[in-house]
Amino acid sequence: MRRRAVLQFLAALGVTVPAGMVDAVLGAAAAQPAPGSPVPRLGVFTPTWPDMVELWRQLSRDWAPLGIELDIQQGTLDTFVAQVVAEQKLPHMGSMSWGGAPDRLDPDYFISEMFHSRRDIKGGLNFGHYHSAEFDRLADAQRAETDVPKRQQLVREVQRPIVEDSPALILFHRDIIHAYNKARFSGVTPIFGNGIGFPYMPMAYMGLTPLTPRKFIKITTIYDIASLNPFLTPEIYNSTTLRLMYATFVTRDAKADLMPWALESWSIVDPKTVDIVLRPGSKFHDGKPATVDDVKFTFDFINKWKFPALSRVSDAVESAEITGDHTVRLKLRTVYAPFVANVLGYAFLAPKHIWENLPSGLATPADWPNDHPVGSGPWRYGEWKKGEFIQFAANPDFFIKPKLEGMVVMPVPQMESMVGMLERGDSDMLAWNLDMTLGARISKSADLEVVRTPTHGQHEVRLNLAMPPCDNKAFRIALQHATDRKKLLDIIFSGAGTVSQGAPITPALTQWANPDIQAPAPSIDQARAALKDGGFSWNGEGRLLMPAA
Amino acid sequence: MAFWRYAGRRGLHTAVTLLLLVGFMFVLFRMIPGDPTTMMLGTGELPAEAQQRLRVLWGLDRPLWQQFIAYALNLLQGNLGMSFYFRRPVSEVIAPMLANTVLLMAPVVILAIVIGVAGGSWLGWRRGGRAEEIGAVLALIPRALPVFWTGIVLLALFAYQFRWFPIGGIREAFFFPENWWQRLPFFDITRHLVLPVATGVLASVADPLMIQRTALLEVRHEDFMVLARARGLSGRAQRRLARRNAILPVLTYSAIMVGFAFGGQVLLEVVFNWPGIGRLMVDSVTQRDYPVAQAAFLMMAAVVVFLNLLVDLAYGWLDPRIRGG
Repeated sequence: MRRRAVLQFLAALGVTVPAGMVDAVLGAAAAQPAPGSPVPRLGVFTPTWPDMVELWRQLSRDWAPLGIELDIQQGTLDTFVAQVVAEQKLPHMGSMSWGGAPDRLDPDYFISEMFHSRRDIKGGLNFGHYHSAEFDRLADAQRAETDVPKRQQLVREVQRPIVEDSPALILFHRDIIHAYNKARFSGVTPIFGNGIGFPYMPMAYMGLTPLTPRKFIKITTIYDIASLNPFLTPEIYNSTTLRLMYATFVTRDAKADLMPWALESWSIVDPKTVDIVLRPGSKFHDGKPATVDDVKFTFDFINKWKFPALSRVSDAVESAEITGDHTVRLKLRTVYAPFVANVLGYAFLAPKHIWENLPSGLATPADWPNDHPVGSGPWRYGEWKKGEFIQFAANPDFFIKPKLEGMVVMPVPQMESMVGMLERGDSDMLAWNLDMTLGARISKSADLEVVRTPTHGQHEVRLNLAMPPCDNKAFRIALQHATDRKKLLDIIFSGAGTVSQGAPITPALTQWANPDIQAPAPSIDQARAALKDGGFSWNGEGRLLMPAA
Repeated sequence: MAFWRYAGRRGLHTAVTLLLLVGFMFVLFRMIPGDPTTMMLGTGELPAEAQQRLRVLWGLDRPLWQQFIAYALNLLQGNLGMSFYFRRPVSEVIAPMLANTVLLMAPVVILAIVIGVAGGSWLGWRRGGRAEEIGAVLALIPRALPVFWTGIVLLALFAYQFRWFPIGGIREAFFFPENWWQRLPFFDITRHLVLPVATGVLASVADPLMIQRTALLEVRHEDFMVLARARGLSGRAQRRLARRNAILPVLTYSAIMVGFAFGGQVLLEVVFNWPGIGRLMVDSVTQRDYPVAQAAFLMMAAVVVFLNLLVDLAYGWLDPRIRGG
């Protein structure tokens, strides 16, 4: 007991403790409560963000009538990653919000990464320890099914066990809210999962048209990039920003459907063979032509160096052979249904004449500073001042010519400063997640417009299925009934979003969502009934008791 | 001779302190749970095999003592290592941020000391009067307020309301001057400096001010001041004499101020979006970028340790009694 007090004291100081001691604490929490004894206080780990604080304020109130008490611990995102993801030390439950990165648009990510038993490992995202043979079978089947209608069917089926087994409370999909100055620029393109301002989908910027003599746009966002080397970083913001210069082979159009980008077209020859056709007449920013030699070089180079940031490419592509003036045949290692979306949409065309002539003495080409990036994308490199801005100039040689002369993206760590800059006219677009309160304030300015776009990103509460009482299905179903998703979305985000069906795919993604499933209806009576059916009972003080033996 | 023996002893102490610091920093950041290869993503979804490749590349697969020896040997040659996160030499990562911080903090420290000494002397000379009571309270109020709060209030007034100054940043990306004064060199950087420097000075002026005031009160009753009065020195000459004799404690304190200024002011940097070393330090800890975190904290600690050494030596030089102790 004393040791625990010391640990709590240290934790309060922000001091971390050796892993063994943490295990001791978790071991105590994981100990099986005796049958018929009160359900222990449930440990919750949540990030410190305001939306999460509000979420738990609501949930602890909404769940109290069930006789449940929560012990809520807050931590920064890096603590969450270190403890819950890397070390797989989730207390009874934890909350997280997942951003709508473009590679998560394919349903495989939110299915396989978060719930497949294969990902119940250190560093995996199945940190609630969900294991279901039926789910695994369906998840594997959809991943290997390249026929789209058949895959659709499998994706719809695989969501059913998630709703039935309830390994997580998937709550809602909060809208992306961006804002811009409509007196200065027109032609914004809101794209599902990207909004008007994120760099994830470069088509969002292609329609932007200046209305004043200044022909470049100033965009604010939270993050800065870490490096100009596209082989280095796997982090989503950095990698997509660099891909504005380094065109990926395919991208997403205004409807978020796949479209060729550096390519002219692609065709699936058989499930393990894909032919890609380079867009004829493509040029790199230094004026040299982009050819099939560069395409082959790119895949060979990635396979040779096995860059951690591009492991999904080297894991998927076995070889690349030139088969025509513009055609390259890719042989895949395994059948991977999201190949076009997640590999061709992530890999970019690299100029052979630059990357095969790097200075010697580098441990890996990923360590090269690449101070003057040369790609073939719609934007050319201008200048990067760390912590201040990154500037791009339009590439008139790209097959879709930007209507702007350039873009300046400025990292601003504070939302209030970003809003102020937009209001004062110091910036033209605010490309970070606004909330509705700030959005309403911005809307009051005649020149500014707020744009809401749905996304596949999501807020969830993950339950630790290895820890009682969360190992009990009746208990999990009761929590589902006691959780009013619509009310939570209304309170936390003023209703700006899509309520979840309890499955990992948003209903707004009609291509993959299963219209026939529904999260358990919010009703405290049904929650109590579910607990009673599961053998739980209550003591005189209304405290929930474990099922009797 | 006695002074040199004293200087040698103090120098040795400093070397030992620095060595302990190097070891402490090395262990400290590695004790934080999490590992740089998982932090790169924010969500830890890099495949295990890819993470292992990174660990080998960055030397994190070797035993801790081997890592430390490699680090210490590099450090002796002035090599701070490579940043995990930026994949550039640490010195290249730190230098521009340090320059930005010096640009911000140098005027803060200089103004705080100059205003502090002048104001403290003025208050001390008016001991017991209404002016002293009000002045001391006025100086202490901004010190008691959180830096970010003062900064936000100044921003709300002078940037949002009156629009005299920019909201933040170190310069405007692509600034186009509209008239002759905007064309003056440093115009853009100067107007970006005004609010953060004002905030920094408000927050830090009270310490030198109160120290100077107290020192002046002590000096006022020294024999030489009585003598000065007896000799019929003018009031202004007396104040000048007292001020100069009271300044030593403030100089000692300013060594500490300079040391901490090198660490930047994280809150000031965040509120004013100033790309300085303070934010870099916070980010490097969050990203588990050990080489950058170690170098930045070590630099800050080393500045404090060296300035302390200098002050000690200066005291030893000035006051022979200290050398013996």
